[in-house]
Amino acid sequence: MELDFQTTAVLTGWLAATIRLAGPLLLAALGELFAERSGVLNIGIEGVMLLGALAAYLATWVFGSPWIGVLAGMASGLASGLFLGFMYVTVQASHVVVGIIFNIFALGLASYVYRLALSGVSGVQTVTMFTAAKVPYLSDIPILGQVLFSHTLPLYLTVLMVFVAAFTLYRTAFGLNLRAVGENPRAADTAGINVTRYRYGAVIISTVASGAAGAYLVLANVGQFRETIISGQGFIALAIVIFGRWNPWLAALAALVFGAADALQLTLQLMNTGVPPQLLLALPYLLTIIAMSGLIGKANQPDAFMQPYRKE
Amino acid sequence: MSLLERRIKPADSPRAIAIATILSVLAALIIGGLLFLPYGANPFSAYAALFNEAFLSWRGFGFTLVKAAPLILVGLGTVVAWRTGFGYLGFEGCLLIGAAASTIVALSAAEGGALAGIPSFVFLPLATLAALLAGGLWAGIIGLFKGRFGGNEVITSLMMNYVAILLVQYLVSGPLRASGGLPQTPRFEREYWLPLLLDGSRAHAGILISLLAAAIVWVVLMRSRLGFEMIVTGLNPKAAKFGGIEVGRRQMMAACLAGGLAALAGMVEVLGVHHRLMDGMSEGTGFIGIVAALLGKLHPLGVVIVSLLYAGMTVGADAMQRQAGLPGSIVFMIQSMILLFILTSDLFRYYRLRLPRRRTPLKETRHGA
Repeated sequence: MELDFQTTAVLTGWLAATIRLAGPLLLAALGELFAERSGVLNIGIEGVMLLGALAAYLATWVFGSPWIGVLAGMASGLASGLFLGFMYVTVQASHVVVGIIFNIFALGLASYVYRLALSGVSGVQTVTMFTAAKVPYLSDIPILGQVLFSHTLPLYLTVLMVFVAAFTLYRTAFGLNLRAVGENPRAADTAGINVTRYRYGAVIISTVASGAAGAYLVLANVGQFRETIISGQGFIALAIVIFGRWNPWLAALAALVFGAADALQLTLQLMNTGVPPQLLLALPYLLTIIAMSGLIGKANQPDAFMQPYRKE
Repeated sequence: MSLLERRIKPADSPRAIAIATILSVLAALIIGGLLFLPYGANPFSAYAALFNEAFLSWRGFGFTLVKAAPLILVGLGTVVAWRTGFGYLGFEGCLLIGAAASTIVALSAAEGGALAGIPSFVFLPLATLAALLAGGLWAGIIGLFKGRFGGNEVITSLMMNYVAILLVQYLVSGPLRASGGLPQTPRFEREYWLPLLLDGSRAHAGILISLLAAAIVWVVLMRSRLGFEMIVTGLNPKAAKFGGIEVGRRQMMAACLAGGLAALAGMVEVLGVHHRLMDGMSEGTGFIGIVAALLGKLHPLGVVIVSLLYAGMTVGADAMQRQAGLPGSIVFMIQSMILLFILTSDLFRYYRLRLPRRRTPLKETRHGA
């Protein structure tokens, strides 16, 4: 079948958008994967992403460099992680409760700081963004070049992170110990692994990644900050981790599924096909629900998932 | 070296808990007060304006009741679900589904609809039933997954929230859309609005519905055999099963009941406040209700009290924002800080701080001895 020019353009656009939209979600999900593998369900990443986005936006606005923005996003992620780690690990409050309250707190804080920082500034300010970094030669390949090799640097770095995450989890002592902590903290403790330290570390990995993901969203995809800029992406990242069965490779695949649904509904809205875009957007959630429902075998979640641990 | 030292006996007397709670609230209020300063506002007068508007002005108190009604209902849903050990987080979704179900009834009661012209005393029970059924079914699916197949209800119910948001978006931009630009349904006829309660305020009958629900939940959960079985299931599912309680079925019932209650919150919102279904309607009530339930110690009466206080703070915050040009986000922060501090205070009931002691006096005594 000969694809006409317009169909090819739409297809290429859709695939490229899929990858662009999947990027920040995947970055946050890779971090969350570490937290969950250590037994912590960090629902607070929604708020962490929001604070990361704000920090990145303000830093880029002041200093003019998106790289400083990324650093600021990661620094705000680190601060959030220290606090969340304290609540999850030291205080041992319910992960779910802390996460929900932190999200509400972050919403208030972000809107407070944003108003304070921009008092006296009229209009919405757009900051310097990452520009597309086309890979030499490869980006000239028809279709494939635009789909795979014409993205921003944060996207390539995120793809690299999939490899790093998989290597760290499965090929290093740190990864082995981390997984042990998530499966059986008591046994890990007996074997001399410091459960507290590993869980703090895993939570901080997840929040630094989420802060960076918020920065990514602002600096590569949007260019501005709004209080509603993170509306559910943190929860989608949770879904991606679970849909990807706590594995970095499958998480990357899951992120693409969510990205594809999002990109497709945008395309379809433009094309006026009559397919409700909400149906496409709901599909990945429905798939996640089915994957977690217990209908198709037990999802192999870490055994100590959402369980606090106190050394006796 | 750890800075924390385990107490020999946890400080869990009512007095210790009260002191911890009061200190948490005070700390949050003080830090919150500091947040007023960059705006050049006096924290004391700002707090005074907040409380005056929320509880002492007739109009403001009416708004407080309006805001409290859905919180109470979601909070009650949380009490039922969580007490039964069902870690449900899908109240936002149930609320929207309840709103949608009662909207469908209200729209079909409009001119030309299937139920055209039914009197309001028939309409209200009908809308309530629709909301209860829809919400119960919505959460019941998750209950079924958990009770029958051992699925993880925390995650699945979170995901269901998004499905509900998208479903409402679909309804208001497609089949139920009113002519005009905005994604929303037509306005309901005035006789199907929840009646107003107090003259000169917007307080509507939703607060009565939620108080009635609180009474019913209290009786069922605290005074009936079913409630007893549900609570035992939540405390220790293994022991409950051993004692002959059908754990899966109890969790399923808790799910349906919780979903139905949260769905009523949605009904109260559309029939009492918005008078139509629209996109982006809930603004996190489904999550804040969970928080209210936790602060209320998962007790129906506690839920009512906390919801009223919480709603009052929100209303007062709006007033504060208008009068002093202060951002309402400060109150969100104070509200969440109160909770975070209360959670943290638990730590100090079991542990005490071990401050590094000064070495010198010890040395002196040793030398002296």
